[in-house]
Amino acid sequence: MSHTKILLVDDEVEFVSALAERLELRNYEVKTASNALEALGLIHGYLPDVIVLDLRIPGMDGIETLKTIKKYDPAIEVIMLTGHGDSQSVEEGMKSGAFEYIMKPVDIGELTSKIDKAKRKREKG
Amino acid sequence: MDNKNEQDLRFLQLRFIGKILAGFTHEIKNHLAIVKESAGLMGDMIKMGKTAENESQYLEIIQSIEEQIERALVHFTYLNRFSHRMDTSLSTFNINESIEELTALLHRFANQKRIRIEKDFQKDLNPINSNPSMLQFLVFNFLEEAIAKLDKNSRIVVKTEVMNGSVAIRVIPEGNVLESDAEKVLCPPEITDYVIKMLNGNISRQGEGAVITLPVKAA
Amino acid sequence: MSANIEPKDSIKQKVIGLLHNLFHPHDYFHVLGADRYTSLKIRIILLDAILSLVPLIIVITISYFWFQKILKDDFSHQLRWEIENTKQSIEFFLDERLSGLRFLSSAYTYEQLSDQKTLAGIFSKFKREVGGLVDIGVIDSNGIQRSYVGPYPLEGKSYANQDWFNEIIVRSSYVSDVFMGYRKIPHFAIAVKRDIPEKGTFWILRATIDMETLKKYPSRINLRKNDDAFIVNREGILQTPSRFQGNILEKFQQCTLPQEEIAVTEVREPADRQSMCGYAYINNSPWILVAVIKSTPYGKIPKIFRNELFILSVISIFIGIAVTVVMTQTVVNRIHKSDQEREEAIAKTEHASKLASVGRLAAGVAHEINNPLAIINEKAGLMKDILETSDDLQKNKEKFLVLINGIFESVNRCRTITHRLLGFSRRMDISHDTIDVNDAIKEVVEFLEKEMLYRNIRLEMNLQPGLPKVETDKGQLQQVFLNIINNAIDAVEEGGLIAISSGVRDEKMVRVSIRDDGSGIPREKLKYIFEPFYTTKEKGKGTGLGLSISFGIMQRLGGTILVESEISKGTTFFVEIPMKAGAV
Repeated sequence: MSHTKILLVDDEVEFVSALAERLELRNYEVKTASNALEALGLIHGYLPDVIVLDLRIPGMDGIETLKTIKKYDPAIEVIMLTGHGDSQSVEEGMKSGAFEYIMKPVDIGELTSKIDKAKRKREKG
Repeated sequence: MDNKNEQDLRFLQLRFIGKILAGFTHEIKNHLAIVKESAGLMGDMIKMGKTAENESQYLEIIQSIEEQIERALVHFTYLNRFSHRMDTSLSTFNINESIEELTALLHRFANQKRIRIEKDFQKDLNPINSNPSMLQFLVFNFLEEAIAKLDKNSRIVVKTEVMNGSVAIRVIPEGNVLESDAEKVLCPPEITDYVIKMLNGNISRQGEGAVITLPVKAA
Repeated sequence: MSANIEPKDSIKQKVIGLLHNLFHPHDYFHVLGADRYTSLKIRIILLDAILSLVPLIIVITISYFWFQKILKDDFSHQLRWEIENTKQSIEFFLDERLSGLRFLSSAYTYEQLSDQKTLAGIFSKFKREVGGLVDIGVIDSNGIQRSYVGPYPLEGKSYANQDWFNEIIVRSSYVSDVFMGYRKIPHFAIAVKRDIPEKGTFWILRATIDMETLKKYPSRINLRKNDDAFIVNREGILQTPSRFQGNILEKFQQCTLPQEEIAVTEVREPADRQSMCGYAYINNSPWILVAVIKSTPYGKIPKIFRNELFILSVISIFIGIAVTVVMTQTVVNRIHKSDQEREEAIAKTEHASKLASVGRLAAGVAHEINNPLAIINEKAGLMKDILETSDDLQKNKEKFLVLINGIFESVNRCRTITHRLLGFSRRMDISHDTIDVNDAIKEVVEFLEKEMLYRNIRLEMNLQPGLPKVETDKGQLQQVFLNIINNAIDAVEEGGLIAISSGVRDEKMVRVSIRDDGSGIPREKLKYIFEPFYTTKEKGKGTGLGLSISFGIMQRLGGTILVESEISKGTTFFVEIPMKAGAV
């Protein structure tokens, strides 16, 4: 299996950099974006397989960003990052086409298994 | 007069919430302190050049940090749920859950006198339809009283069970009662009576403890 | 256009203002110093009593006088009727006798009647049939009495010079006034004239009638104790004796004689009560029938009527007031209850919003803290990963230190966030924190400094140094200070003074006084300033709840608030704080 290309979208730089590094240690290819605009800009060139998206990024609403991504390329799977008590957004996200969600702080094992599942789904077509 | 009771109740409720929040904050601070210390320790060790042989040690420290984070988060969940219980005055909720939340949030408070709060919940207790924050207030009241009166290293058992078609919540202090504090009453009985009347339930005192009985309505 | 509208508006406003003042308890009228609801009740009852009594009294008075008038009118008609009857009787009486004389004068000739004996015989028969005759005489055209039958020696007497003689020459019959002629006793005469066309002369047949028969007629009128009825002549000379107006042939003083044939008039004499005079001109005679009625039987009837009316009105007033009292009680109690409910509702809402803000804060904190915790988690996890995958720790030494630093920063972030929560929780709990009252005051003053500066208000602080610390809730105490000082700022004008001082009242209490030199509060209103919804500010400014809430807070803290005030001198509030925390 080729490296899964992941795009992490979260405005918390410290978090995102540490997480990216951890994922890289696990042989994922990771790029990061700190806001919706940056993310959308990167997608076109980078062509990620899975996007891990924090719903609470500033600027464009997380859900809006999700919808835009799915519209742009429905094949990209999106995993939502949420905080506790965000059940409403989770529901809405799932309806808008997200693949899965995971709560912050993340359990690295859980995240990687979800990412793999997403990649497999994507490969099946 | 109801008006006075209402006023006093509001005041006491705010005091109760204040106590919970304060307790919670201290709890979190505690966890954070441990995290900080652990990280600090690691930093020191690294600076001192301790390397490979301490790998397991490092792992342990990291483990503890992760643990602390998790526990802090658990507390946040409790606080979150606690705050949301005040949103409505009537809802269907799980008594055991609400009391567990309460005792967790009061853990630090009781710990000051090394008093353990133990739970003896009847499993599969059905959810009831009532005022969750008021119930928590009542249980808190008796817990606070027990904590004030008991000697150090005592314990309090909080027991839930179904009895004659009602739900009974018992607060059973076990230990010596400090003579000097025996007469302390922090919440006047008029207020607890006023609240239990609101909930259509009953309170009976048993020694230094109390039993709160609530009717079970079809949930 | 506005000039036309304004005056009307201001009147309307004045009326509305007046009604408002009347029904809003805490403005002007505090009756009997009672609490404002009782005072409102009393005012409404008084107002209602007056409003219902006044028309009732008016109606009663009108009814009374109207009734009296009706009775009087009735009485007056009654009198008139009696007078008329009597007049007719007298006229009939006279008519009868005149007819008799006329008959005699036509049945017999002058020669016959001039004969004494014949006249006597006729007279005795005549006398038998017609009562009251005293004598009879024939008088020739020269006025000489030719024949006479009667008790008095009047034969040959000449009447030529007498008025009546001249009068009867013109008229054919005559009735005289009562007079005391030759006989010194009162009598009156009637006479008829007979013409002798052949001779061109005439003769007169004259008879006198005694007073007794005339007297009985006026007495027929229904007379009561003070009443009087009699006959007078056109000059007002009494013809019959009267009870009060004088004797026969005396002048009747009292009333002026009317013009109409029959009249009943009211007379108001200064010395007398009201009296009624009835008159009737008696036809074919010089007489007037007079009745002077002083009794007022119509006055008596209303008295009886008055008793019943009185009882009735007392009962109805009583019922009216009872109903008013009950209704007022109900309404004002309802107002009181509704004020309480409003107060309660406001307190409830405030409480609910406090709870809501707790919820929001807790949620906010939970929200925000997620990130730093996640960061710590990741960094720790990364360190773990590095340890697990790499053999040589040395290489990563720097990295680790950087990561650890990151953890510190996150921990600090968490701290700041939870600190906010702690601050909030402290404000909600009645902390048995020992606080320095002077510091608490200074903090509040700092907060209000700009406002005071802006309004050019002088501030004098006289805080006792070394004031013992007190066990109380700082937040709530400051709320009280804030409220009172704010009020003081509103009360003083530009350049006014606010003086704050602190000290020990006794071994149990600390006392803080806040004095302003504003316009002061009138004594009657002082009692009510701690009541909810009491405000002297214009409508819309201030709910009037500030002081009542502050008072409640101090009560709960085991202290109290006192106030002293003098008009145009200023107001001082004393806040007393117990040094040891009191129970709820």
